[in-house]
Amino acid sequence: MSARRAELSRRGFLTGSLLVAAGTVLTTACSTDPTGGSASGAKTTLNVWYHAYGEAGTQQAVLRYAKAFTKANPDIAVKVTWVPGDYAGKLNATLLTDSAPDVFEIGDFSERFVRGGQIAALDDVYGSAKSDFNANAISSVTVDGKLYGVKMIDDVIMLYYRKSVLSKAGITPPTTLDGLIAAAKALSTKKNKGLFVGNDGIGDSPSNAVWSNGGDLVTPEGKVAFGSAQALEAITALKGLHDDKSLLLGFTTDWWDPAAFTQGVVPMQWCGLWAMPAVQSALGDDFGVLPWPAFKAGGTPVVRVGGWTSCVNAKGKNVAAAKKFAQWLWVEQSDLQRDFAESYGFHVPPRTSVAASAKKLSTGAAKETVELAAKYGKHNPGTWDTAVSSTFNAAAMKIVGGKGDPAALLADAVKKAQREIDKQLGR
Amino acid sequence: MITLPGLPRSARILARGLLVGVLTAAFLAPFYLMLRNSLMDSQGLTAPEWTWWPSTMHFENFTALFDDPSVSMGPALGNSLLIAAITAPVSTLLASAAGYALARIPVPGRGVVLALVVATLMIPGSVTFVPTFVVVGSMGGVNTLWGIIVPGLFNPFAVLLFRNFYLQFPSEIEDAGRIDGLGWLGLYRRIALPSSGAMLASLGALSFIDSWNSFLWPLVIGQDPSAWTAQIALSTFLTSQTINLPGLFAGAVVTITPLVVMFLIAQRYIVEGIATSGLKG
Amino acid sequence: MNSATDTTVQPEPAGRPAVTPRGAARTGRSGPGRPRVGRSGWIAFVLLTAPMLIGLGIFKYVAIGWSFLLSLSDARGTISLGHWVGLDNYQTLLSDQTFRDSLLNILLFTAFIVPVTFAASFGLALLVHRIRRGRALLRTTFLIPTAVSYVAASLLWKMCLFNGLPTGIANMIGGWFGAEPVPWLQSTSPPLYWIVLVTLRLWLQVGFYMVLFLAGLQAIPKELYEAAALDGASGRRLLTGITLPMLRNTSVAVLMLLFIAAFQAFDEFYNLFNSGLSGTGTAPVQTPLVHLYNTAMGSQNYGLGSAGAFVLTALIVGVTLIQGRFTGFGRSGE
Repeated sequence: MSARRAELSRRGFLTGSLLVAAGTVLTTACSTDPTGGSASGAKTTLNVWYHAYGEAGTQQAVLRYAKAFTKANPDIAVKVTWVPGDYAGKLNATLLTDSAPDVFEIGDFSERFVRGGQIAALDDVYGSAKSDFNANAISSVTVDGKLYGVKMIDDVIMLYYRKSVLSKAGITPPTTLDGLIAAAKALSTKKNKGLFVGNDGIGDSPSNAVWSNGGDLVTPEGKVAFGSAQALEAITALKGLHDDKSLLLGFTTDWWDPAAFTQGVVPMQWCGLWAMPAVQSALGDDFGVLPWPAFKAGGTPVVRVGGWTSCVNAKGKNVAAAKKFAQWLWVEQSDLQRDFAESYGFHVPPRTSVAASAKKLSTGAAKETVELAAKYGKHNPGTWDTAVSSTFNAAAMKIVGGKGDPAALLADAVKKAQREIDKQLGR
Repeated sequence: MITLPGLPRSARILARGLLVGVLTAAFLAPFYLMLRNSLMDSQGLTAPEWTWWPSTMHFENFTALFDDPSVSMGPALGNSLLIAAITAPVSTLLASAAGYALARIPVPGRGVVLALVVATLMIPGSVTFVPTFVVVGSMGGVNTLWGIIVPGLFNPFAVLLFRNFYLQFPSEIEDAGRIDGLGWLGLYRRIALPSSGAMLASLGALSFIDSWNSFLWPLVIGQDPSAWTAQIALSTFLTSQTINLPGLFAGAVVTITPLVVMFLIAQRYIVEGIATSGLKG
Repeated sequence: MNSATDTTVQPEPAGRPAVTPRGAARTGRSGPGRPRVGRSGWIAFVLLTAPMLIGLGIFKYVAIGWSFLLSLSDARGTISLGHWVGLDNYQTLLSDQTFRDSLLNILLFTAFIVPVTFAASFGLALLVHRIRRGRALLRTTFLIPTAVSYVAASLLWKMCLFNGLPTGIANMIGGWFGAEPVPWLQSTSPPLYWIVLVTLRLWLQVGFYMVLFLAGLQAIPKELYEAAALDGASGRRLLTGITLPMLRNTSVAVLMLLFIAAFQAFDEFYNLFNSGLSGTGTAPVQTPLVHLYNTAMGSQNYGLGSAGAFVLTALIVGVTLIQGRFTGFGRSGE
């Protein structure tokens, strides 16, 4: 009797799962790719990747640009892939495969892509517009005299502070690291913390610290420089922020999202210019911007300039069409570049003529930020890839947490980072 | 701690009842929180005052998951369903077939075959994700659904369980089948397989759960949004640049519900499956 | 729930053969009157085993062989062989402080989670076993978290139960007793993240092991207890004298499964500590699998990643063999 019962249940089980499988095949087959912007009759379809920008409207804008491109070039369709989460990891893994994007953006251009033959030289797409790009936009994508990407946007990263909260506490915007530590401590209450630099408690602060004390991360020749005495001194000093427990940790979003600042959870946050529209609509005029303060009086304040660069997959099937797209959008279409830079989040257009014509960037706090970037802007070196930066940050993390001897930790990180860079540069 | 000698019987019952109550609350609280959070709005969720249940329920958190094209929860759920619905029956049937052959067909050298299968048991699947990626990647399986499914179809542990099961199978029934003119394949198909219903259902249910909830392998192989499973989509939104908290919880509720329903319906098989696979000895 | 109770009281045939594999194997092999296998037997054997063998061959044997060769090559951003570097990758890996830390972390985690889960699931099994009314319901309650994925649980633990804000559940409850809100996941001294990690895994998997213990408890003949009760034994004596020894095999199996599961920890570590663009680089605690993921998938260093897979596999196989020796030793003494 048990055999018969079992047979029934086996049949039920198999039929059930087959039905489910069939149903799913149908539903997945019917749901078309929502991100596609392809037009009928196109000969090639370009796969273009963007990381998920947090500002509302950005994705729609990118889709609109893709459509406009296909309209101008009817034989090339564009499929936009919008990638939230760990963008670098997803990109790296996909580049090995057939479904690799033809055009993709990378944050903080890394020479590793060039050394691996992954991205194509783009000297021919610049044309006469080359001189219109700001100096850093050109130098940061130049490897061995060739240009390997088109800078899409410069992102300026600085400190936001709430004017009303600081003045109520009788605190002037800090100009030294000690001042920042003291301000963060004074602004910490039983419920709220004074400063947010990242959920891990460090964010960009270790590299800021090194620069703000006149140090360097990696020299242009590829020699690791963050083992210097200034660097050690500055990173060790960050420990003060942790010892005072004045840093916000464990917020729901990380430092690149202004939510902690706009919701009044912290009065000071390290965040980017991109967040300024959101900050303005939440707080009106009640905020100001600051560079990361100099390590000591008379030192150099720091504003980090990052940004995103458009690259063409050299191993892709549609290199020519991909170059055409990058050229059309990021070299030729100055109106779209301006739209992208000021209509959603704020970014600085790398083309000086476009930057000059961006109205929203030439008033108030945005203007102030752009000026800070021109004065104190620092860029991550081209050799600063994930392996190197995570080595550096992990060491800094231990130092500020008081886990081990700072000098030894940093020296160890220097050795490891140097090995990585040597391999990267093929030495 | 559960038996409390020296106390009157009524006090013992009371203490046990209290313990059961506290434990039940602790085990169910996360489900309650997930549901509550998924129905609130962002302000309510981050407000300093605690609310037990949202005064107005925001069901739009759920519809937004499926309406918003930038959130690929719908296709991801479809992928997960497809993957689990293929993996569960196919992996169980493959294991049953191999287990039957190893148990009942006395060809010389089957000991060697068995040893080859058992040897792979020593190597836990997720630890070797790099080697598997290397093979699947070279076969062009990155960002494809088959790349997610196929490596998970071969479960040596299930082979062993089925072999043990068929070893115990009374040979009289097979003899009767043989008299009726059935060959080995016929015996497996007509007699052994139909009597393995409970076993197939138990291991199939477990395989469905594992496949639905698996994370590392789909993360490694399915980087392109078109190949995301529900778990990857959820994880991606969790680590996203901006986070819509109620939407995130709504996503969690959506990914959990199918399995909770399945647990309630097929609990018998799941319990059996756990007991069977845990106690192979 | 009627069907559920009936299965627990009387283990189904599906569960039975697995419990006594050794005896079973003997009866199977020495069965009398076994027909001779002819050509048809061979064909059937090949047809039935081929899919499994081909699958295991490709995804286990070929994968491991290839990967071993990769671990001896410099394979960055590529999975093809050719650039031999000998044991360089192994040297790099073992001299890497983060990898060594991750091994230490996983040992610590195992040392935490294995005994805690073992004790908790055993306790729950005893409780459920003793309760007469509503047993099935209680068992379902403890088992149902098994349906939840590590991703969904991490989400709840990170964003709701243990976030660093005063409104997080843990901080709110702490607040009732006058405690300051703490960042649970980021506090390194004391390392509060262990509480988050351990409670999460406990909630998710304790029901699973409880079911194993329940099956074991139900297999203990009632007569044993009755006889002992006649001798005047009660309470703790029954537990240590009968229940625990009779659950020896179950306990060994549970320990083994717990150990292997703990050593493969990845999902919750990745989801709790990963924060979007910056990955898990600055997470206060990394497991070996997270490290391997970052090496292979993040830095695209497949040679180093393969070497890591081998070191880990060797560790697990080693411990499995050692534990197998102990249990085998115990069995022969039975």
